[in-house]
Amino acid sequence: MAKLRVQFESGEPERVIEFDPARAPFQHDGRPGSILDVLLAHGIHLEHACGGNCACTTCHVVVKKGMEHLSGSEDAEEDLLDKAPGLTPTSRLGCQAVIEDPDAEIVVWIPKYTINQISGHGG
Amino acid sequence: MAVELEGRLAEVVDHGADTRSLFLRLPVDLDFRPGQFISCQLPVGGKTLIRPYSIASSPEESRRLEILLNLVPGGPGSHYLFGLPLGATVRLTGPWGSFFLERAPEAETVFLADGTGIAPIRPMLRRALATATGHPVRLVAAAASPQRVLYRAELEALAQAHPPFRWEYVPSGALADEVSRRYVERDADRSRRFFICGVGTIVPTLRDLLRRAGYERRAVQYEKW
Repeated sequence: MAKLRVQFESGEPERVIEFDPARAPFQHDGRPGSILDVLLAHGIHLEHACGGNCACTTCHVVVKKGMEHLSGSEDAEEDLLDKAPGLTPTSRLGCQAVIEDPDAEIVVWIPKYTINQISGHGG
Repeated sequence: MAVELEGRLAEVVDHGADTRSLFLRLPVDLDFRPGQFISCQLPVGGKTLIRPYSIASSPEESRRLEILLNLVPGGPGSHYLFGLPLGATVRLTGPWGSFFLERAPEAETVFLADGTGIAPIRPMLRRALATATGHPVRLVAAAASPQRVLYRAELEALAQAHPPFRWEYVPSGALADEVSRRYVERDADRSRRFFICGVGTIVPTLRDLLRRAGYERRAVQYEKW
Protein backbone atom coordinates (compact mmCIF):
# COMPACT_ATOMS: atom_id res chain seq x y z
CA MET A 1 0.00 0.00 0.00
CA ALA A 2 1.21 3.51 -0.80
CA LYS A 3 1.16 6.04 1.99
CA LEU A 4 0.30 9.71 1.57
CA ARG A 5 0.85 11.96 4.56
CA VAL A 6 -0.97 15.27 4.24
CA GLN A 7 0.08 18.32 6.22
CA PHE A 8 -1.75 21.62 6.26
CA GLU A 9 -0.30 25.09 6.63
CA SER A 10 -3.64 26.04 8.18
CA GLY A 11 -2.78 23.96 11.26
CA GLU A 12 -5.41 21.31 10.59
CA PRO A 13 -4.31 17.94 11.96
CA GLU A 14 -2.17 15.80 9.68
CA ARG A 15 -3.93 13.07 7.75
CA VAL A 16 -2.40 9.78 6.67
CA ILE A 17 -3.94 7.97 3.72
CA GLU A 18 -3.05 4.43 2.71
CA PHE A 19 -4.18 3.31 -0.70
CA ASP A 20 -3.46 0.93 -3.55
CA PRO A 21 -2.32 2.94 -6.63
CA ALA A 22 -3.42 0.08 -8.90
CA ARG A 23 -7.07 0.84 -8.02
CA ALA A 24 -6.99 4.36 -9.49
CA PRO A 25 -8.99 6.35 -10.48
CA PHE A 26 -10.62 6.89 -7.10
CA GLN A 27 -13.01 9.60 -8.31
CA HIS A 28 -13.45 11.66 -11.48
CA ASP A 29 -11.17 14.72 -11.34
CA GLY A 30 -7.45 14.97 -12.08
CA ARG A 31 -5.20 12.33 -13.57
CA PRO A 32 -6.08 8.87 -12.23
CA GLY A 33 -3.98 8.18 -9.13
CA SER A 34 -2.90 11.81 -8.81
CA ILE A 35 -2.57 13.53 -5.46
CA LEU A 36 -5.83 15.36 -6.24
CA ASP A 37 -7.59 12.08 -7.08
CA VAL A 38 -6.44 10.46 -3.82
CA LEU A 39 -7.23 13.47 -1.62
CA LEU A 40 -10.73 14.02 -2.99
CA ALA A 41 -11.52 10.33 -2.62
CA HIS A 42 -10.54 10.54 1.05
CA GLY A 43 -12.64 13.57 1.89
CA ILE A 44 -9.88 16.18 1.70
CA HIS A 45 -10.97 19.15 -0.34
CA LEU A 46 -8.32 20.50 -2.67
CA GLU A 47 -9.49 23.31 -4.95
CA HIS A 48 -9.39 22.42 -8.66
CA ALA A 49 -11.16 25.17 -10.53
CA CYS A 50 -10.30 23.80 -13.97
CA GLY A 51 -11.69 20.38 -13.09
CA GLY A 52 -8.23 18.85 -12.65
CA ASN A 53 -7.22 19.39 -16.28
CA CYS A 54 -3.89 21.17 -15.84
CA ALA A 55 -5.28 24.57 -16.76
CA CYS A 56 -4.84 26.51 -13.50
CA THR A 57 -2.79 26.43 -10.29
CA THR A 58 -5.53 26.08 -7.70
CA CYS A 59 -4.40 22.55 -6.68
CA HIS A 60 -0.80 23.60 -6.00
CA VAL A 61 0.87 21.44 -3.32
CA VAL A 62 4.41 21.25 -1.99
CA VAL A 63 5.99 17.80 -1.90
CA LYS A 64 8.02 17.46 1.31
CA LYS A 65 9.09 13.87 0.75
CA GLY A 66 8.87 11.28 -2.00
CA MET A 67 9.23 13.53 -5.05
CA GLU A 68 11.00 10.64 -6.77
CA HIS A 69 7.89 8.48 -6.46
CA LEU A 70 5.75 10.87 -8.47
CA SER A 71 5.24 10.94 -12.22
CA GLY A 72 7.36 13.56 -13.98
CA SER A 73 6.01 16.98 -14.83
CA GLU A 74 5.37 18.16 -18.37
CA ASP A 75 5.84 21.64 -19.85
CA ALA A 76 2.19 22.57 -19.32
CA GLU A 77 2.46 21.92 -15.58
CA GLU A 78 5.78 23.76 -15.29
CA ASP A 79 4.43 26.75 -17.22
CA LEU A 80 1.47 26.97 -14.86
CA LEU A 81 3.55 26.48 -11.73
CA ASP A 82 5.69 29.45 -12.80
CA LYS A 83 2.63 31.56 -12.02
CA ALA A 84 1.64 29.87 -8.77
CA PRO A 85 1.95 31.96 -5.62
CA GLY A 86 4.43 30.49 -3.13
CA LEU A 87 6.26 28.39 -5.72
CA THR A 88 8.98 26.09 -4.30
CA PRO A 89 11.45 23.73 -6.02
CA THR A 90 9.22 20.80 -5.01
CA SER A 91 5.90 22.35 -5.98
CA ARG A 92 3.54 20.23 -8.04
CA LEU A 93 0.01 20.49 -9.31
CA GLY A 94 -2.05 17.97 -7.38
CA CYS A 95 -4.02 17.05 -10.50
CA GLN A 96 -0.89 16.07 -12.45
CA ALA A 97 1.44 14.37 -9.94
CA VAL A 98 0.57 10.67 -10.04
CA ILE A 99 1.64 8.19 -7.35
CA GLU A 100 2.39 4.98 -9.22
CA ASP A 101 4.70 3.10 -6.84
CA PRO A 102 2.70 0.81 -4.50
CA ASP A 103 5.39 1.26 -1.81
CA ALA A 104 5.66 5.03 -2.13
CA GLU A 105 5.72 7.19 0.96
CA ILE A 106 4.84 10.73 0.10
CA VAL A 107 4.47 13.78 2.31
CA VAL A 108 2.60 16.75 0.85
CA TRP A 109 2.05 20.15 2.37
CA ILE A 110 -1.06 22.08 1.47
CA PRO A 111 -0.49 25.85 1.51
CA LYS A 112 -3.21 28.00 3.06
CA TYR A 113 -3.96 29.75 -0.21
CA THR A 114 -4.55 26.39 -1.91
CA ILE A 115 -7.38 25.66 0.52
CA ASN A 116 -8.93 29.06 0.78
CA GLN A 117 -9.09 30.86 -2.52
CA ILE A 118 -12.71 31.80 -2.61
CA SER A 119 -13.74 34.96 -0.83
CA GLY A 120 -16.21 34.22 1.95
CA HIS A 121 -14.93 30.69 2.60
CA GLY A 122 -14.00 31.39 6.21
CA GLY A 123 -11.12 33.77 6.53
CA MET B 1 -9.86 36.86 -5.15
CA ALA B 2 -12.30 34.42 -6.59
CA VAL B 3 -15.93 34.47 -5.52
CA GLU B 4 -18.80 32.00 -5.59
CA LEU B 5 -21.89 33.14 -7.46
CA GLU B 6 -25.08 31.98 -9.09
CA GLY B 7 -25.54 33.09 -12.68
CA ARG B 8 -28.90 33.07 -14.38
CA LEU B 9 -29.11 31.99 -18.01
CA ALA B 10 -30.32 35.15 -19.74
CA GLU B 11 -29.71 34.45 -23.42
CA VAL B 12 -28.56 31.73 -25.79
CA VAL B 13 -26.94 32.38 -29.16
CA ASP B 14 -26.23 29.49 -31.50
CA HIS B 15 -23.18 29.85 -33.73
CA GLY B 16 -23.88 26.56 -35.50
CA ALA B 17 -25.39 23.16 -34.80
CA ASP B 18 -23.04 22.35 -31.95
CA THR B 19 -21.49 25.65 -30.86
CA ARG B 20 -23.32 28.00 -28.57
CA SER B 21 -22.85 31.12 -26.47
CA LEU B 22 -24.54 31.23 -23.09
CA PHE B 23 -25.05 34.60 -21.45
CA LEU B 24 -25.18 34.47 -17.67
CA ARG B 25 -26.61 37.35 -15.68
CA LEU B 26 -24.70 37.79 -12.41
CA PRO B 27 -26.04 39.38 -9.23
CA VAL B 28 -22.82 41.37 -8.69
CA ASP B 29 -19.86 42.56 -10.74
CA LEU B 30 -17.21 39.94 -11.40
CA ASP B 31 -13.75 41.47 -11.31
CA PHE B 32 -11.78 39.49 -13.87
CA ARG B 33 -8.93 39.99 -16.31
CA PRO B 34 -9.42 39.41 -20.04
CA GLY B 35 -8.65 35.74 -20.72
CA GLN B 36 -9.63 34.29 -17.36
CA PHE B 37 -12.21 31.57 -16.84
CA ILE B 38 -15.05 30.62 -14.54
CA SER B 39 -15.49 27.22 -12.99
CA CYS B 40 -19.04 25.90 -13.25
CA GLN B 41 -20.38 23.40 -10.73
CA LEU B 42 -22.92 21.33 -12.61
CA PRO B 43 -25.31 18.90 -10.90
CA VAL B 44 -25.24 15.89 -13.21
CA GLY B 45 -26.17 12.33 -12.31
CA GLY B 46 -26.08 12.93 -8.56
CA LYS B 47 -22.56 14.35 -8.71
CA THR B 48 -21.15 17.83 -9.03
CA LEU B 49 -19.12 18.16 -12.21
CA ILE B 50 -16.55 20.94 -12.29
CA ARG B 51 -16.20 22.44 -15.74
CA PRO B 52 -14.06 25.46 -16.62
CA TYR B 53 -15.25 27.91 -19.28
CA SER B 54 -13.30 30.88 -20.54
CA ILE B 55 -15.10 34.17 -20.31
CA ALA B 56 -15.73 35.30 -23.88
CA SER B 57 -17.05 38.72 -22.85
CA SER B 58 -15.08 41.69 -21.56
CA PRO B 59 -14.71 42.87 -17.94
CA GLU B 60 -16.59 46.04 -18.90
CA GLU B 61 -19.75 43.89 -19.21
CA SER B 62 -19.03 42.18 -15.93
CA ARG B 63 -22.60 41.35 -14.87
CA ARG B 64 -23.38 39.76 -18.21
CA LEU B 65 -20.94 36.98 -18.72
CA GLU B 66 -20.62 35.11 -22.00
CA ILE B 67 -19.25 31.60 -22.24
CA LEU B 68 -18.77 29.73 -25.49
CA LEU B 69 -18.98 26.00 -25.73
CA ASN B 70 -19.13 23.07 -28.08
CA LEU B 71 -21.55 20.23 -27.56
CA VAL B 72 -19.08 17.44 -26.82
CA PRO B 73 -20.32 14.01 -27.96
CA GLY B 74 -20.85 12.01 -24.76
CA GLY B 75 -19.78 15.01 -22.66
CA PRO B 76 -22.11 15.25 -19.64
CA GLY B 77 -21.13 18.85 -18.79
CA SER B 78 -21.83 20.32 -22.22
CA HIS B 79 -25.03 18.28 -22.62
CA TYR B 80 -26.26 19.63 -19.30
CA LEU B 81 -25.52 23.23 -20.31
CA PHE B 82 -27.03 22.81 -23.78
CA GLY B 83 -30.21 21.52 -22.13
CA LEU B 84 -30.64 24.43 -19.71
CA PRO B 85 -33.76 26.58 -20.18
CA LEU B 86 -33.63 30.36 -20.01
CA GLY B 87 -33.83 31.52 -16.42
CA ALA B 88 -32.03 28.46 -15.04
CA THR B 89 -29.24 29.09 -12.56
CA VAL B 90 -25.63 27.98 -12.85
CA ARG B 91 -23.43 27.86 -9.77
CA LEU B 92 -19.93 29.08 -10.51
CA THR B 93 -16.68 30.26 -8.97
CA GLY B 94 -14.13 32.58 -10.42
CA PRO B 95 -12.35 34.28 -11.89
CA TRP B 96 -9.51 31.81 -12.29
CA GLY B 97 -6.50 31.34 -14.47
CA SER B 98 -3.20 32.91 -15.36
CA PHE B 99 -3.79 33.13 -19.11
CA PHE B 100 -4.75 36.78 -19.41
CA LEU B 101 -3.78 40.08 -20.94
CA GLU B 102 -4.27 43.30 -19.01
CA ARG B 103 -2.39 45.67 -21.30
CA ALA B 104 -1.07 45.44 -24.82
CA PRO B 105 2.55 44.22 -24.79
CA GLU B 106 5.30 46.54 -26.02
CA ALA B 107 5.80 44.26 -29.01
CA GLU B 108 3.89 42.78 -31.91
CA THR B 109 1.13 40.67 -30.41
CA VAL B 110 -0.11 37.55 -32.16
CA PHE B 111 -3.23 35.71 -31.09
CA LEU B 112 -3.65 32.17 -32.35
CA ALA B 113 -7.16 30.82 -31.88
CA ASP B 114 -8.38 27.42 -33.00
CA GLY B 115 -12.18 27.08 -33.15
CA THR B 116 -13.81 27.95 -29.82
CA GLY B 117 -10.33 28.79 -28.56
CA ILE B 118 -11.25 32.30 -29.61
CA ALA B 119 -13.33 32.62 -26.40
CA PRO B 120 -10.60 33.95 -24.07
CA ILE B 121 -8.77 35.59 -27.00
CA ARG B 122 -11.74 37.84 -27.78
CA PRO B 123 -11.59 39.94 -24.57
CA MET B 124 -7.78 39.86 -24.70
CA LEU B 125 -7.84 41.20 -28.23
CA ARG B 126 -10.30 43.94 -27.31
CA ARG B 127 -8.08 44.93 -24.38
CA ALA B 128 -4.95 44.84 -26.52
CA LEU B 129 -6.58 47.21 -28.99
CA ALA B 130 -7.94 49.49 -26.26
CA THR B 131 -4.43 49.83 -24.79
CA ALA B 132 -2.57 49.69 -28.10
CA THR B 133 1.07 50.66 -28.08
CA GLY B 134 1.40 51.19 -31.82
CA HIS B 135 2.79 47.72 -32.39
CA PRO B 136 0.93 45.42 -34.77
CA VAL B 137 -1.79 43.19 -33.35
CA ARG B 138 -2.57 40.04 -35.30
CA LEU B 139 -5.10 37.26 -35.01
CA VAL B 140 -4.88 33.99 -36.83
CA ALA B 141 -8.29 32.37 -36.50
CA ALA B 142 -8.43 28.72 -37.44
CA ALA B 143 -11.74 27.08 -38.23
CA ALA B 144 -13.25 24.38 -40.44
CA SER B 145 -14.20 27.04 -43.01
CA PRO B 146 -14.07 30.85 -43.30
CA GLN B 147 -17.81 31.02 -42.48
CA ARG B 148 -17.21 29.17 -39.22
CA VAL B 149 -14.83 31.75 -37.78
CA LEU B 150 -16.59 32.84 -34.61
CA TYR B 151 -17.29 36.58 -34.08
CA ARG B 152 -16.36 37.19 -37.69
CA ALA B 153 -18.39 40.41 -38.09
CA GLU B 154 -16.90 41.78 -34.89
CA LEU B 155 -13.37 40.97 -36.07
CA GLU B 156 -14.00 42.77 -39.34
CA ALA B 157 -15.31 45.82 -37.48
CA LEU B 158 -12.31 45.82 -35.15
CA ALA B 159 -9.93 45.66 -38.10
CA GLN B 160 -11.68 48.66 -39.68
CA ALA B 161 -11.56 50.67 -36.47
CA HIS B 162 -8.00 49.78 -35.44
CA PRO B 163 -5.39 50.01 -38.20
CA PRO B 164 -2.70 48.10 -36.23
CA PHE B 165 -5.04 45.11 -36.16
CA ARG B 166 -5.35 42.51 -38.91
CA TRP B 167 -6.85 39.07 -38.76
CA GLU B 168 -6.76 36.12 -41.08
CA TYR B 169 -8.57 32.83 -41.39
CA VAL B 170 -6.66 29.61 -41.86
CA PRO B 171 -8.09 26.08 -42.10
CA SER B 172 -7.73 24.30 -38.75
CA GLY B 173 -5.57 21.54 -40.15
CA ALA B 174 -3.12 24.07 -41.60
CA LEU B 175 -2.64 26.20 -38.48
CA ALA B 176 0.78 24.85 -37.46
CA ASP B 177 2.16 25.13 -40.99
CA GLU B 178 0.82 28.66 -41.38
CA VAL B 179 2.28 29.75 -38.04
CA SER B 180 5.63 28.28 -39.01
CA ARG B 181 5.55 30.03 -42.38
CA ARG B 182 4.56 33.44 -40.99
CA TYR B 183 6.37 33.62 -37.69
CA VAL B 184 9.34 31.28 -37.98
CA GLU B 185 10.49 31.07 -41.60
CA ARG B 186 9.58 34.52 -42.91
CA ASP B 187 11.95 36.57 -40.72
CA ALA B 188 14.36 36.42 -37.80
CA ASP B 189 12.24 38.67 -35.57
CA ARG B 190 11.75 36.86 -32.27
CA SER B 191 10.35 39.77 -30.28
CA ARG B 192 6.68 38.87 -30.87
CA ARG B 193 4.34 37.89 -28.06
CA PHE B 194 1.97 34.98 -28.62
CA PHE B 195 -1.30 34.04 -26.98
CA ILE B 196 -2.60 30.65 -28.07
CA CYS B 197 -5.86 28.89 -27.26
CA GLY B 198 -7.58 25.83 -28.63
CA VAL B 199 -8.64 22.29 -27.93
CA GLY B 200 -6.21 19.39 -27.83
CA THR B 201 -2.70 18.82 -29.13
CA ILE B 202 -2.59 21.77 -31.51
CA VAL B 203 -1.85 24.02 -28.54
CA PRO B 204 1.34 22.29 -27.29
CA THR B 205 2.32 21.78 -30.94
CA LEU B 206 2.23 25.55 -31.53
CA ARG B 207 3.91 26.27 -28.19
CA ASP B 208 6.82 23.93 -28.97
CA LEU B 209 7.11 25.15 -32.57
CA LEU B 210 7.51 28.76 -31.44
CA ARG B 211 9.75 28.14 -28.45
CA ARG B 212 12.06 25.88 -30.43
CA ALA B 213 12.28 28.57 -33.10
CA GLY B 214 13.78 30.96 -30.56
CA TYR B 215 10.88 32.79 -28.98
CA GLU B 216 11.28 33.23 -25.23
CA ARG B 217 9.35 30.75 -23.13
CA ARG B 218 7.33 33.50 -21.45
CA ALA B 219 6.62 35.19 -24.76
CA VAL B 220 4.50 32.18 -25.69
CA GLN B 221 1.45 32.04 -23.44
CA TYR B 222 -1.24 29.46 -24.00
CA GLU B 223 -4.31 27.76 -22.68
CA LYS B 224 -5.08 24.23 -23.71
CA TRP B 225 -8.52 22.67 -23.27
